Amino acid sequence: MLKKLLKYEIKATGRIFLPMYALLIVLALINKFFYSVNVDYLAIPQILTMTAFVAIIVGIFLMTLVVTIQRFNKNLLTDEGYLSFTLPVQAHSHINCKMITTLMWLILSGIVSFISIFIMTINRETIDSFKNFFSLMGSALAIAGIDGYIIFFEVIFLCIFGLLSEILSIYAAITIGNMSSKHKLLAGIGSYLGMGLIEQFFATILITSYNGKIGTDFQLFGNYSAINQYRQAQTILLLLIVFVLVFGTAYYILTNWMLNNKLNLE
Amino acid sequence: MPWKLKSDRPIYAQLIEHIQLFIVSGIYPAGSKLPSVRDLASEASVNPNTMQRALSQLESEGLLYSQRTSGRFVTEDVEKIMDTKNNLAKGLIREFIQNMNNLGYDIKQTVSLIENTAEEE
Amino acid sequence: MNNILECQNLVKFYPGCLALNSVNLTVPKGRIVGLLGPNGSGKSTLIKLANGLITPTSGKILINGMKPGIETKKIVSYLPERTYLNDWMSVNNMIEFFSDFYDNFNMEKAYDMLKRLGVNPNQRLKTMSKGTKEKVQLILVMSREAELYLLDEPIGGVDPAARDYILDTIIGNYNENSTIIISTHLISDVEKILDEFIFINQGNVILTSTVDDIRENENKSVDALFREVFKC
Repeated sequence: MLKKLLKYEIKATGRIFLPMYALLIVLALINKFFYSVNVDYLAIPQILTMTAFVAIIVGIFLMTLVVTIQRFNKNLLTDEGYLSFTLPVQAHSHINCKMITTLMWLILSGIVSFISIFIMTINRETIDSFKNFFSLMGSALAIAGIDGYIIFFEVIFLCIFGLLSEILSIYAAITIGNMSSKHKLLAGIGSYLGMGLIEQFFATILITSYNGKIGTDFQLFGNYSAINQYRQAQTILLLLIVFVLVFGTAYYILTNWMLNNKLNLE
Repeated sequence: MPWKLKSDRPIYAQLIEHIQLFIVSGIYPAGSKLPSVRDLASEASVNPNTMQRALSQLESEGLLYSQRTSGRFVTEDVEKIMDTKNNLAKGLIREFIQNMNNLGYDIKQTVSLIENTAEEE
Repeated sequence: MNNILECQNLVKFYPGCLALNSVNLTVPKGRIVGLLGPNGSGKSTLIKLANGLITPTSGKILINGMKPGIETKKIVSYLPERTYLNDWMSVNNMIEFFSDFYDNFNMEKAYDMLKRLGVNPNQRLKTMSKGTKEKVQLILVMSREAELYLLDEPIGGVDPAARDYILDTIIGNYNENSTIIISTHLISDVEKILDEFIFINQGNVILTSTVDDIRENENKSVDALFREVFKC
């Protein structure tokens, strides 16, 4: 069932993202062309297309936020909700579907942006810079050994779970907001800020606990030996991952419970 | 084309009358096969269960009979059909006489009025 | 399991409103039933409970002996009063969608009905008039071979010709294993196709009876009885 939901969710959102991606690549190629030609009378169009390029990249990421909110709200909490919730699927499948799709577009947006910048700026020098960069990374990891890889993967996990937790907090806020009959938007924003405050609160507690051990650990970081530096980094990253997982799970459970028990379609 | 049904009388009773009319007027001739319950219900724009009730009653009265696999048929008993026709006619006449009485005509006056009117036609 | 729908002491309470007040109801299979009552009587609440869109405050509601959930959603086909279709899709897309999610969706039937009602399957829902969208929705719902159909005002926004077609479709869809519950205000239009009806008001079931029983015993139509009972 989740696969089917994903199919339609991607169809619904692809209509928005794919044209933007295409436009971005086209603008990248145009900019590239302008650079290589580099003639005076093309100065103004060059500025225009460059501005458009930057605007589109910003637009893509803004659009992701908008789509995240709009898809969840429209498809589950307005009239379309009558269809969504009478399908023979569990509420959590809906949450999973939207969450995964949003994550997918975020990652794709990042990749496409990167590729388009790459297209725009590619020449012998940049290729050399890239080669240098990768070989540096390679040797750094080789020196660091397993510990380096651990940190590398921890960072990736942190990014992914962090994003998911953020997306889930938005979903939870929208669902809470929907429960109010007259001021859904305000209630939604209010809940989002409220949940953010709670997260901050616990984060502060975490950092100042153990008599501020973590905070001072950061300060003493530079004094440690290599092994201890790795251990410190890994532990801190692990703590952050756990923090993000705990809140993400809480938002997930909250949203799921509300969709199952407090659904209020007009 | 939905059958004309009054809203304050039981539907099944009106369906019975309609079907009786079709039978005696020859629209459903003696021995002929009746459409299925669902088709009849569709034609009349009524609930199939109600149509079923009407048909069952007509069966128990002997105007219809059903064969297990082939469906429902009008009886071949022509006398039975004539009886039904006569009963329907009598019903109409009784109603007419009652209406004429309400207007103030007695039986004799009613009969002569009928003859006069028929001559004018 | 002879009853497709059963309510046992069903209560639904919202802050400030007792929507359903300990309702007891059984609806057998193979019936066409009218759920009749004024606005705010609890009709929509009852239907939402049957769909699993909301949960009871207390008491039980059972669909074919099961509590509302994934298994009941498979056998319940729901037509809400509002359009719930995804605007950006075409009719063809919607048919594919229903087909994907419901095993008992009959595509042939759907296309046949679309043709009869003159709807272009390639058209996007966004560009359709409200009346056409409602027709499409009804077709999608009736093309499922469900065991319980819940139709909320199915003929409300449609022209009289389409109305007749819709009522005929409902009759045509009848079979002894499924039940159709119609919630409506347009009682006189719908009365002839009902087996029985339920009068509901302020969360209470006031009366259940067959249409013919009322006509026989009270010499009036259900529509007339409704006006009497629910006089303002």
